[in-house]
Amino acid sequence: MRKSTKFIGLTGVVMFSIVALFAIFGPLFIPYDAYKQAGASFQPPSASHWLGTNDMGQDILAELAVGARTSLFIGIMTAILATLIGGIVGVLSGYIGGRFEQLMMRIIDVVLTLPYLPLMIVVAVYMGPGVFTQIFVITLVMWAGKARQIRAQTLSIKSAGPVLAAKTMGASDFYIFKKHILPGVFPLFIPQFVGAVNASILMESSLSFLGMGDPTMKSWGSILYYANSRSGFLTDAWIWWIIPPGICIVLVVLAFSFMGYYLEEKVNPRLSAYTAAQKRVKQQITVNEELVAQNIALAVRDLSVKYPKNGKFTTVVSDVRFDVKQGEVLGIVGESGSGKTTVASAIIQQLRSPAHVPHGAIYFEGRDLQLFSDEEIREVRGQQIGYIAQAAMNALNPVVSVEKQLKEALLAHQTLSTKEIDERIDEALIQVGLEPKWRYAFSHELSGGMRQRVIIAMALINKPRFVIADEPTTGLDVMVQVEIIQLLRKLQRELNLSMIFISHDLPAVLSITDRLIIMKYGHIVDEGPSKALAKTSTHPYTRRLIDAIPLLQPRKEEVRDVVH
Amino acid sequence: MNRRFSYFGKKLFQYTLVLFVAISINFGLPRLAPGDPLLYFFDESTIKELTGAQKQEVLDSVGLGGTLWEQYIQYLKGIFTWDFGTSIKYAQPVTEVIADKLLWTVTLILPALLLSAVIGVIIGAYSAWNRGRKRDIGFLTMMLTFQAVPGFWIGMLFIAIFAVQLGWFPTYGAVSIVQDGTTWGFIKDVAWHLVLPIATLSIATVGSNYLLTRSSMLESLGQDYMTMAEAKGVTKKTLIFNHGLRNALLPIYTQFTMSLGTLIGGSVVVETVFSYPGIGRLLYESVVARDFPMMQGVFLMITFGVIAANIFADLTYPLIDPRAKSSAVHKGGQ
Repeated sequence: MRKSTKFIGLTGVVMFSIVALFAIFGPLFIPYDAYKQAGASFQPPSASHWLGTNDMGQDILAELAVGARTSLFIGIMTAILATLIGGIVGVLSGYIGGRFEQLMMRIIDVVLTLPYLPLMIVVAVYMGPGVFTQIFVITLVMWAGKARQIRAQTLSIKSAGPVLAAKTMGASDFYIFKKHILPGVFPLFIPQFVGAVNASILMESSLSFLGMGDPTMKSWGSILYYANSRSGFLTDAWIWWIIPPGICIVLVVLAFSFMGYYLEEKVNPRLSAYTAAQKRVKQQITVNEELVAQNIALAVRDLSVKYPKNGKFTTVVSDVRFDVKQGEVLGIVGESGSGKTTVASAIIQQLRSPAHVPHGAIYFEGRDLQLFSDEEIREVRGQQIGYIAQAAMNALNPVVSVEKQLKEALLAHQTLSTKEIDERIDEALIQVGLEPKWRYAFSHELSGGMRQRVIIAMALINKPRFVIADEPTTGLDVMVQVEIIQLLRKLQRELNLSMIFISHDLPAVLSITDRLIIMKYGHIVDEGPSKALAKTSTHPYTRRLIDAIPLLQPRKEEVRDVVH
Repeated sequence: MNRRFSYFGKKLFQYTLVLFVAISINFGLPRLAPGDPLLYFFDESTIKELTGAQKQEVLDSVGLGGTLWEQYIQYLKGIFTWDFGTSIKYAQPVTEVIADKLLWTVTLILPALLLSAVIGVIIGAYSAWNRGRKRDIGFLTMMLTFQAVPGFWIGMLFIAIFAVQLGWFPTYGAVSIVQDGTTWGFIKDVAWHLVLPIATLSIATVGSNYLLTRSSMLESLGQDYMTMAEAKGVTKKTLIFNHGLRNALLPIYTQFTMSLGTLIGGSVVVETVFSYPGIGRLLYESVVARDFPMMQGVFLMITFGVIAANIFADLTYPLIDPRAKSSAVHKGGQ
């Protein structure tokens, strides 16, 4: 967890403790009765009245302390009730499902659609002002949101592995409920509860401010109600009469927001992997003439990448070194987690913090890409190095048309007329075997293979000399995989591309690459020309990978194995 | 097409149900509440002086005569003929009074909502883009604080500081009593009165817009299409707006359009603080004056508003999410 998250959580606890101590001990130590006149009216703060007095001569500090008890009591009671009712409804409807769930969900929808403040007011008016009324109406509008969220969480636990496993092994419903659902859901009640306290204290203050509070009890909201209805802000007294109760409300609500933020991150960490990128500044770059002279398009030298894990660094790529000559296709093969995609990200400078590159250089046409500024690397991406992502999930933006995504790739690097743009888009689509009419399509209207073709078109539309294809066939049907490989091979030859082809699919790689790197645990374990490597490599890992390729005819060794 | 239709069918059912519940609450509450219903209209000494016939006449006039079933039918009939009863305080049909106030509320809410959405979205997107940096934490803390501040308290502070102490803005109302008679003068006067209420309402609602944008944007920024777009070499601006924010906007848009309705109810406190002559204050005043037909009418009108906003959100959503409408390409045949 981030340090800042912990700090925010701790701040919340401290703020709440201050208010809680004030509520518990305040009335015991403050020598005035909040309900009785304690001095002249509108006295400014002094040694005897720290926060002065109101129009009735009541001590405001005493009022605040008593008000703290009322506000916290209503806030916490309501939160307990709303979380409990919402929790029970949510867990049961999530767990039982069927008609019961349908019914409950309809009720929840209705409660959530009704305008909550007017609803509370209308109901409260008929019930008459009072603490019980406030607790009732706030619970009435608040349980539904809790129920909906807890139901969603119950559903996700219900379909999780352990529960399905227990079911398969014949566990009873009650057993599953007791052993899996409840322990799984219960921790989620806590952030829900914290969020509820926060909302209900605000609602209580609004209701009290509108005069729906208990007339015989002081709360922060009702202090402000009287201050407002007696035009407290027209006198100088507003400074000590209006500001302090508001600060109390803000303090408590903020305390619970902070604690809620911490709990939310802890129980339900954001899945987003996004972190802000570091700014790269322009600096002097010397060209490595030796590499240029040897016609080496890309040279990776002793590249290591580390990630922090439990306070230490884990090395995911370790001293990787390879060259890609002009027009050459290099294959990088390895299992998931072998570091091959990290190498690709490192090349186009898309490693995200907290990734850390302790040493290594990545020379593209003789210049180390790691020293490029933000703008310089942007010009390289797409224009000089094309990147083909795997389309399995969502490499295409779902709400932007194919046409627009191709167009922005073009305009990122060139200035063209509308007509030229049109022609280039048609050309790019035809090049990857798609009819031009597909330019109007959105991602969800395309099949997996078509999406992959669009991505290839996007990567090639600026005619880069170098292309990185990162698992371009993952998640596609076998026949489509073959088509995509054939397409890439054809384009590579036609355009004389230098290329890195990353895959865990060895047969695919063998059919398209000139040379091969085998990676395992972040190291290069074997390398050589593809054909030679396939036939003669003696490295045990390479052998295992190659022997795992299914063949229609049995290998000789296998026959021999049988003979043995 | 069929799936889409059944989606609307379900929504329509839900809204009908909401309306039914709101009507039933209106109908049920006065009848469930303990005590003599006449107590809602007169004090005890007055009731004692009334004859039986007079009492009956009063009950009939407010729809409390006859059996429960007759009352219910009569009540429903009233609503479908746009007759919500007569306001006790204003001695005018409830619908007329509401119509007078509605425009005021809209002129207050619409700019406030737009302002709060625009600011919330911009800062939220900026904050997400800079996730984990000092400025992100700073904005996050600021917005959580805004969210923790009760709207009426901001209003009171604004009045005390900017209206009473500094005298820059009026302390209450929507128009000055004395007008110079020109249209331009009137507009300026209204705008002058609107500054503080709009600022109050915007601050009170900006926090939730910010938080929703920030989390929605973070979700979007972590997606594969962001990596792909960056690898195409598009500019930072394109990356943030055309990809990150474009996707993050979907839930924000839904919340924004739906809140159009909810905010009519939410403006009760702000309108009350500023004595602003809108629907919200009308609700508060009818509570204070025990003007029950008025109060119920406002509640029902706000419910209508919420439902209208929901329907608007449902209908316009396909405009921003192409996945929610049928394809132009497929219609042409594959």
